[in-house]
Amino acid sequence: MNRLAHDELTELRSELLRVTASLVESIPRATQILLDQDLEGAEYQILADDEMDSRTLDLEDRCVTLMGLHAPVASELRHAVTIMKMSADVERSADLVVNICKVARRIHGIQLDPKMRGLIGRMGTQAQILFRHAIQAYADLDLPMAKAVDDMDLFLDYLHRQFIESIFESHSAGTIDLPVAIQMAVTARFFERIGDHAVNVAHYVQYLITGEIPPAGDHRRGGRLSDSTGEIEGLPA
Amino acid sequence: MSFVLGVLIGLAAGVVSYLLFVSTSRDLPNISTAVPSSEVETREAENNGYLAQIQDAINSLSVGVVIVDAKGVEIFRNKLAESVTGVIHSDVLVEEVVEQHLSAALNGETKRQVLDLFGPPRKVFSVSATPLLIGGAVGMIEDTTERYLVDAVRTDFVANISHELKTPVGALAVLADALSQEDDLDIVHRLSEKMVEEALRVGRTIDDLLELSRIEFGGEAVKDEVDAEAIISESISRVSPLASTHSIKVAMIELPQPLKVVGDRRQLVSAIGNLVENAVKYSEAGSAIEVSAQDAGEWVEFTVKDFGLGIPSRDLDRVFERFYRVDRARSRDTGGTGLGLAIVRHVANNHGGEVSVTSIEGEGSTFALKIPKFIVQNQSVMKESA
Repeated sequence: MNRLAHDELTELRSELLRVTASLVESIPRATQILLDQDLEGAEYQILADDEMDSRTLDLEDRCVTLMGLHAPVASELRHAVTIMKMSADVERSADLVVNICKVARRIHGIQLDPKMRGLIGRMGTQAQILFRHAIQAYADLDLPMAKAVDDMDLFLDYLHRQFIESIFESHSAGTIDLPVAIQMAVTARFFERIGDHAVNVAHYVQYLITGEIPPAGDHRRGGRLSDSTGEIEGLPA
Repeated sequence: MSFVLGVLIGLAAGVVSYLLFVSTSRDLPNISTAVPSSEVETREAENNGYLAQIQDAINSLSVGVVIVDAKGVEIFRNKLAESVTGVIHSDVLVEEVVEQHLSAALNGETKRQVLDLFGPPRKVFSVSATPLLIGGAVGMIEDTTERYLVDAVRTDFVANISHELKTPVGALAVLADALSQEDDLDIVHRLSEKMVEEALRVGRTIDDLLELSRIEFGGEAVKDEVDAEAIISESISRVSPLASTHSIKVAMIELPQPLKVVGDRRQLVSAIGNLVENAVKYSEAGSAIEVSAQDAGEWVEFTVKDFGLGIPSRDLDRVFERFYRVDRARSRDTGGTGLGLAIVRHVANNHGGEVSVTSIEGEGSTFALKIPKFIVQNQSVMKESA
């Protein structure tokens, strides 16, 4: 691959780091918007997604062009593929952030009890930590850190389970009604999914470094991820 | 390395030519042709000295500075700008905004933007860029996090104090108005009861404000030897009527050895009392509160631990402000004045100690108050007896 293509790959890397920085920043912001039910902030965040979409699409386009024009091989081919895949995960996560902001609008005026608020805050923090580490692993090509993201996701899954339990508690105690309970269950899923996208990013980082994609489900230490509830089967609760 | 060198050389060339331009145009026209070469060399050496000084000065500024030439190529970035910009995380977001402003400045526009980053840590930057007369542009990054927080405290304080004082007074006015047109004795009775309640409420707020200012400007600090256990048990007994109405159990954890602190007994009881009272108000009925004191080197650390509502993490830094409420909707239910924790903080400051809080929303909070330990000075006594 020539010098020009090499520079383009460096550019793409830098742009991916920038787009991901915006995403990482937006996770705690959206969490706060949800907790404050901040309508103005939600509107702003929802509108800001257009830019994320166009930037990530542009990244994918440029990767395809790079591969088509310069036919990179070996680690450079892996790098181009990785950027393309990761930008898709970033784009999906940004959509989930928007979904969280939309929930803030839907539950406007409803008081959530402190336990649920606390868990929302912790899920937001954990989802951000996951993405932060995944992208840090990419920036530094740090294999141990990329592998660590898998374990960190277990904690987010644990928080997700706790949150689902607290929704049942709140609902049966009568502090929230059914529509709100459903919104909350969906929200929990959004955070959990952001964590899964971070895990994907970390997997691509592993692929970039080693040339092998970690087998699906491997990071669950043999446990199987249930699609419907996001719970891990075969792990002690 | 070569990049840094390039920046230095670029800046040196720019500043030297600028200084030469200034000095020649001011007092010595056509000096370059008139002076012998050795003089030019000394002048250059002198200018290099200036350059180093200017660079040093820009590096010690408390604002980040990025300078680009007319083509937009960076020629200088001071230390502070280097520390807040980068290629990843929040740093790259700052970088991006600086780049945008610099390219706008090269087109002759001067813009300013406030960048509010959630981090963590939470940071607020004010970024701007201005075109330079001799070509190029300079970008500036100011860390305004502190100012932003102070502003928030100030505006909230004004809003809260008017809320706390006006609400009961407004209620009194409405009740009195209703009372003046009422003949039914039952209703008169009920309204006047409400009025007494509201009047007591304003009274409490004013009492607390007075107490706070007394602690704030209390003059010489009292330095008595006070027993930690006595402080705790007195604080608990003061709060126990409130606790029993909420059926909350306040327990003192046994101290392993007697602990003594240096300070003003009355203020310390008021501080611990306020912490326990808060814990009671923000706990659910039937839960427990633990009060204890530990030996921590030069300090005695009092802790009040509850298993109640907890405090949202964003409010943790602010709960010690006067009138700050985590949840304003609840403030009338608890009957507090919003000054309790501010009093605790002032007591801590008066004693040269500190108060801190850790909390998880929904799981409870722990407040810790550090007060200097009373150290028995028996060394001199022993010497004398020996």
